[in-house]
Amino acid sequence: MVGNEVDAEDVMQEAFLKAFTKIDTYEGIVSFGAWLKKIVINRSLDQLKKRKVKFEELNEKIPDEEPVRIEISEIQMDQLKKAIQRLPDGYRVVLSLYLLEGYDHEEIAQILGITNVSSRSQYLRAKLKLRQMLHKEELFEYN
Amino acid sequence: MHDELERLILHNRSSFQENEPPEGHFERFEAKLQKASKPVRKISFQPILKIAAIVVFALLAVNQARIYFFPEKQATLSLGSISAEYREVEFYYTNAIQLGMKQWDKLKNEGFISESEQEMMQKEQEDFDLMYQKLLEDLKANPNDERVINAMLEYYQSRMNVITLIINKLQEVKQQKYQINETEI
Repeated sequence: MVGNEVDAEDVMQEAFLKAFTKIDTYEGIVSFGAWLKKIVINRSLDQLKKRKVKFEELNEKIPDEEPVRIEISEIQMDQLKKAIQRLPDGYRVVLSLYLLEGYDHEEIAQILGITNVSSRSQYLRAKLKLRQMLHKEELFEYN
Repeated sequence: MHDELERLILHNRSSFQENEPPEGHFERFEAKLQKASKPVRKISFQPILKIAAIVVFALLAVNQARIYFFPEKQATLSLGSISAEYREVEFYYTNAIQLGMKQWDKLKNEGFISESEQEMMQKEQEDFDLMYQKLLEDLKANPNDERVINAMLEYYQSRMNVITLIINKLQEVKQQKYQINETEI
């Protein structure tokens, strides 16, 4: 989510430290994993804030793209990961939260302090950008 | 509904999450953990206040007990406490009386004083002590009364005179005894 290995390590370590020190604040309302995950995400966002990443409100409508077929076997997972890492911070965060962490747009809006619509449009932009990057690298084959 | 790209990522989500942390991660984490777990020297005032309250209470209790069990002797009022001159006078007389008593003890040890004389001296001293206590009470009641002050002065003088007289007599006896011994030899 933070886009590089060094920052990711820092975030993870700091999140664990925070979890250790704030363990008494865990009320057991959500699962421990979800609580810990929330800490990791918040630490990630803090890290991104240091880079002055702003999650701007986007209200413009971006039409969903037509589904395309992807030959999974042709995709090199490493390249896909690297492409996601190269996404602009704002795009990568929303895409990671939605696709990798499994949050819906309502939750992402809450986490990032933006509207549901912004979360959706940011996500669509992220996906579009990723698709372009993959296409450029000829990782995507349009049927 | 998910498109192919989403499905690709979603179906391979686990492979996005299986990245191993870089080498040395554990050591770095351990260092951070130690740094974070170093006890922060926070001064918690709650226990300090408790201890302070206990100490103050204990000191007060000890002080009260001391006052109760060992009542402080009131600053002794004597002739010396009236003025510096009287203090000197008192010092002179008390020293002279003490010196006389030391000589008395010396003569007693040398065997020049009979038991009846010792008893007589003992009685004299007790009478003087009683008189002194009475004078002190009078002085306490009337610290600026000239009559009491004069009585105190007379008391010291009398006591000193009595002791000096006795000691002088005893010294004479002692001298006579030596002379007799010498002529006999």
